[in-house]
Amino acid sequence: MNLQVIYCNHQTSSLDLRERLAFTGDEQLAEAYSQLRDAFPGSEAVVLSTCNRVELYTAQDNDGASPTQQELAGFLSSFHGVPLEEFLGDLLLQSGPDAVGHLFRVCSSVDSMVLGEPQIVSQVKEAYRLAEQNAACGPLTNALFQGAIRVSKRVRSETRLAEGRVSIASVAVGDFARGIFDRFDDKTVLVIGAGEMAEETLQYLKSDGVQEVLVVNRSPDRAEALAQQWGGRGYGMEHLDEMLARADVVVAATGSDRPVVDLEMFTRARSGQSDRPVFVLDLGAPRDVDPAVAGVDENVFLYDVDDLQETCDRNRSQRSGEIEQALAIIDEESERFMRDIYHRATGPIIKRLREQWSEVSRAELERLRSKLSHLHDDDMDQVQQSLSRIVNKLLHPPLEALKDEARDGTPHGLLEALRRLFHIRD
Amino acid sequence: MDVGPLEAGMADVAIFCFLASYTVAFALELLRLKKPGRLGVLAGIVFLVAGFLAHSLFLWNKGRSAELPPLLSSSQDWILVLAWLVTGLYLFLVCCDRRLSIGVFLLPLVLVLVGSSYLLEDRPSQLLDPDVRARSGWAMLHVSSLALGSAGVLSGIVLSLMYLLQHRRLRHKSGTSPGLRLPSLERLSRMNWWSVVVSVPLLTVGMGTGLVLLLSGSAAPDDLTLADPVVIINGLSWLGLAGLFGWMLLRPRATGKQVAWRTLLACGLLLVTVVGLSVLTSSGSVSSRHASWSPQFPERCLVATGGHR
Repeated sequence: MNLQVIYCNHQTSSLDLRERLAFTGDEQLAEAYSQLRDAFPGSEAVVLSTCNRVELYTAQDNDGASPTQQELAGFLSSFHGVPLEEFLGDLLLQSGPDAVGHLFRVCSSVDSMVLGEPQIVSQVKEAYRLAEQNAACGPLTNALFQGAIRVSKRVRSETRLAEGRVSIASVAVGDFARGIFDRFDDKTVLVIGAGEMAEETLQYLKSDGVQEVLVVNRSPDRAEALAQQWGGRGYGMEHLDEMLARADVVVAATGSDRPVVDLEMFTRARSGQSDRPVFVLDLGAPRDVDPAVAGVDENVFLYDVDDLQETCDRNRSQRSGEIEQALAIIDEESERFMRDIYHRATGPIIKRLREQWSEVSRAELERLRSKLSHLHDDDMDQVQQSLSRIVNKLLHPPLEALKDEARDGTPHGLLEALRRLFHIRD
Repeated sequence: MDVGPLEAGMADVAIFCFLASYTVAFALELLRLKKPGRLGVLAGIVFLVAGFLAHSLFLWNKGRSAELPPLLSSSQDWILVLAWLVTGLYLFLVCCDRRLSIGVFLLPLVLVLVGSSYLLEDRPSQLLDPDVRARSGWAMLHVSSLALGSAGVLSGIVLSLMYLLQHRRLRHKSGTSPGLRLPSLERLSRMNWWSVVVSVPLLTVGMGTGLVLLLSGSAAPDDLTLADPVVIINGLSWLGLAGLFGWMLLRPRATGKQVAWRTLLACGLLLVTVVGLSVLTSSGSVSSRHASWSPQFPERCLVATGGHR
């Protein structure tokens, strides 16, 4: 069995290179799998392409058809039209147990840019699904990817690697907004400006059920376009006062060099509404909301990027403390996976050998039974047990040797020797 | 009649059994604050359930031996039933979401209630009079409304504390701690409102039926009057809570924090009054006819007053 991965990721290569080597869209992937099948007909293949990594896994059941690093790099080069010398130094190759450990680390998010982030598992699942759809994978990659998903579950349940949110938007919604509100489907969200972080925050809020989204922007057209994207309504800045009074959640992310929500405006908006909590998220740098707004009443919960960054950093350092435990699980699981794979290769030979010898002992027993008919059933049982013990004792040394050899890989030589010595045929 | 070993073992359940279980569950809950983990949560639930079963068995045995529901058998049992209700509520909340750290707030109350039961009287009822038996429906309504209302008051205290803690965390911009997970302010505020709105009418029913029993009581001794210190102090505490109830209904736009503080004060006062008075009267520090007579103890009172009827 041969298993290898050729890859570049956020640690080994630049974003620019990763973008050039990335496989985007199902059609491009289908074409890649078609070319891989033509180039390496005896190989199973799975491509994992995300914004942080491009990885190509290949596996073969026998020694002969294993593609080399040069061949796989050549494929990437010709497929994407990127000269080999521009990226060969950034590509890494792992094979056998190292390749298994690599995928297990990737899928468990130990290798991710944001340690413990959950998206990678679904990306790995999706990569395998597409390989399956394109008839590119086989039994080895199937076992490998199923194993990786199982290991990632184990790492998540046995360590705190995925605990605590580490992105500004997820901390804002998960740690703070959810601490204030029980549900979001009856809340009104006001987005001021149109920063990238505001969009990410809105994504989290939408997944929590937000229905009503109001977007206020200097350009009403831009506001309307964004609002439509999120199923909301867009307004110009002149409506900010009115919208502020309606909002339960305010996300401000403009490029303005001075606060767009000042104390006076906010106090006006809160007039007669102090019983209603409002969550104000200021994602602007410089700030979009005057910090004095937090003191308007006790139901105003104002957070800026610095407030959230502190929580992100703390959670990130907490996650780092869990890496060692996660790696121990991954090592243990990689070892078990390799053992299972090698056992799969040696299993049929062991089975045939046992059957063959048992058949010989059965035949001898029958012969004995017909010759020594005066023996009682109890005596015959004793003889049968003795024969079984002899077979087991004779088989023990070769099978132990096979098991020992299998720890370091498929023992092709020994398997062949056993076949020839004991006349085992497939 | 022969009693099997299982039945004999069940009859041996003592207050210490479930007090110890609850103490371990509380210790595990505290440990969870420092070192959260699934194993700790499960171990805590196991001890809690074990304690709850022992607690239920204890009350069942007491009720059976007194041939009365536990609420009527003694004032010790009344407070143990109250603790049982609170534990049941906690178990229910744990089943809904076991990640929430409610035990840190509820279990100390349970421990205080169970612990204070050691200081209360545990004289079995000698309620054998057929006339009193006929009135035990009213007595049952009286004590059960008070027990349920008190359970509501206790949950009001816990919910208010949780609200104030969560509010403080959010205002101080501290991230969530994996060991201390609290419900949202919105949910806590809603639950707090309901706990007051449900418990005040129940306590009112309890007070009302108590009054009916007192005024109509052929079973009550003549010197048991409305001027009794226990009746007066409990009545004043109830008035405080009723005031909160009225304020909440008249001020629907009050902030969650205002409601939490007022609930904490009113309910806390009531809790201290009820438990404190029970302990003081049981120890004889406060002289009260209500303490020696109660709907569950009319016969005892009659014996004490020399069979006055």
